[in-house]
Amino acid sequence: MTTVLELKQVTKTFGSGHKKVEALKNTEFKADRGELIAIIGPSGSGKSTFLTLVGGLLTPTSGDVILNGQNITKMSEKERSQIRLNEIGFILQASNLIPFLTVAKQMKLLNKVKKGNMSVGEMEQLYEDLGIGDLRGKYPSDLSGGERQRVAIAKALYSNPSIVLADEPTASLDSDRAYEVMELLKRETKSKKTTSIVVTHDTRLTDYCDKVYYMTDGVLKLQEEN
Amino acid sequence: MFLAWNEIKKNKLRFVLITGVLMLVAYLVFFLSGLATGLKDLNRESVDKWKASAIILTEESDKSLYQSSMFLDQVEEVNADETAVIGQLNAIAGNGSQKKNVSLFGIRKEEFLMPEVTEGKPFAGENEVIADDSLKEEGFSLGDELSLSSSEEKLTIVGFTDKARFNAAPVLYADLETFHMVKYGEGADANNDRINGIVIRNGEGDVIQDDALQVIEIEDFIQNLPGYTEQNMTLTFMIYFLFAISAVIVAIFLYVLTVQKISMFGVMKAQGISSFYLSKSVIAQTFLLAAIGVIIGMALTLTTGAFLPAAVPVSFDLPTMLIYGAVLIAVAIAGALFSVLTIVRIDPLKAIGG
Ligand SMILES: Nc1ncnc2c1ncn2[C@@H]1O[C@H](COP(=O)(O)OP(=O)(O)OP(=O)(O)O)[C@@H](O)[C@H]1O
Ligand SMILES: [Mg+2]
Repeated sequence: MTTVLELKQVTKTFGSGHKKVEALKNTEFKADRGELIAIIGPSGSGKSTFLTLVGGLLTPTSGDVILNGQNITKMSEKERSQIRLNEIGFILQASNLIPFLTVAKQMKLLNKVKKGNMSVGEMEQLYEDLGIGDLRGKYPSDLSGGERQRVAIAKALYSNPSIVLADEPTASLDSDRAYEVMELLKRETKSKKTTSIVVTHDTRLTDYCDKVYYMTDGVLKLQEEN
Repeated sequence: MFLAWNEIKKNKLRFVLITGVLMLVAYLVFFLSGLATGLKDLNRESVDKWKASAIILTEESDKSLYQSSMFLDQVEEVNADETAVIGQLNAIAGNGSQKKNVSLFGIRKEEFLMPEVTEGKPFAGENEVIADDSLKEEGFSLGDELSLSSSEEKLTIVGFTDKARFNAAPVLYADLETFHMVKYGEGADANNDRINGIVIRNGEGDVIQDDALQVIEIEDFIQNLPGYTEQNMTLTFMIYFLFAISAVIVAIFLYVLTVQKISMFGVMKAQGISSFYLSKSVIAQTFLLAAIGVIIGMALTLTTGAFLPAAVPVSFDLPTMLIYGAVLIAVAIAGALFSVLTIVRIDPLKAIGG
């Protein structure tokens, strides 16, 4: 197993003085290729903070985040933006689709801005895997919540990122749809050998995951390994 | 361009609106510039026709041709490639049915002020004149006998020439003798050596020695025609003001659109799409809208121009229009920079914030 992501003694504090919040306390973490990892925990425990640190949207107060052997904490904002573009796929709670682009054009935009492009065949495969082939000509406003999240996953998986980060991707879905989306995420993680980290409130969804971490007050603990 | 164009296609109405506003502003700018050119021509076209470098008037006249008075033989003291004498007066000319304010130029047939005749023939004898062809539209024609407000003399139109208006009045060209008859009546013989000015081409070094005379560059002379500079400045000021207005309109409109899309831009930045790419898209969008607005505005202006009655002094100068069009587009893009600043400042973390 190759390590894709490694956090070394990472801490993150917000504010200072009596307003100081330690959102993440001295955290060690490792994720391997092909792993689907869930992070659960109460509100305000630091889950999103963890995810944004990994995604290079925040810099840690101390410690290092190493993605694919590159220390992203040492990078400039511009370099990190490039890493986000080419190595990380984000899936957000609310849909991260662009309202004025059809499904096919959402993909085309990625094709324009990303380095590693997908062949037509790979593209078709992705459409088929996610069951969104028939939605190509539709605008996000004409899709159901589940369809939107499936397209969002397709965008996140476009041109095989090293890691997919999902912050409560199923929060806006009913449980049937939520299971479906998790199922998909699992299948794609396995078949594409990417690493996915999913933050969720819903403990029933953790059955799909290889590892489940529990976050309380900025402390991350491995809870179970399937 | 990809984002810009697709957004326009999806949200047609809002972009049609902004393009419409830009088009109206462009229309107004082009029309005012046409009016400015037209009014300029109205004042200066006969002077431009001289293709002269300067005019010599008396110091006392304060650059007014009408107020200047000198003697014919003073032309001998002038040091220039070519010289031409001119006498000028204003009068009301009538042919029995129509009356019109005109400017009478007394010139010598063999000098360069003599216009080319486009219809009829040059003046040959006493009391014959060549008239500006704008008089044709006013109901004057070849062979008309003109009575003048200030004189007993009757003038006959024997020919027409084009582009000959001076300070908004059509010009009648006559020889010096006729001019003197009109100006001095009974006293014509006693004053037959009087002229108003000397027009020169390529004066050298000290053009004149006489302290009572003044050499005035042609452009300077034109700027001092009554009302010319004031009129010009008013219109130019209005045009510049419109540029500022369109910058502000575009800035506000795009800013509102950008603010609406802040979370979308944030998500895109989180996904690693650069501020540069997003800014480029906004600029491209502005360019498209402004260019379309300007082109339609220009087409509309030219169409309107074709249907306007001849009495409206508009004349469209394509190079000027192209420059103003380019300025409008540039100014719109300057307005968009405000939105670019907003995009650069968006924090992707806020968009993702969970
Ligand atoms: N930008 C910030 N400035 C100050 N404090 C912050 C900031 N972001 C997060 N925090 C604090 O850090 C802690 C962890 O926040 P975080 O968003 O990571 O929680 P979470 O586990 O994702 O919660 P939820 O389940 O509600 O999304 C909270 O106490 C929060 O108030
Ligand atoms: Mg959160």
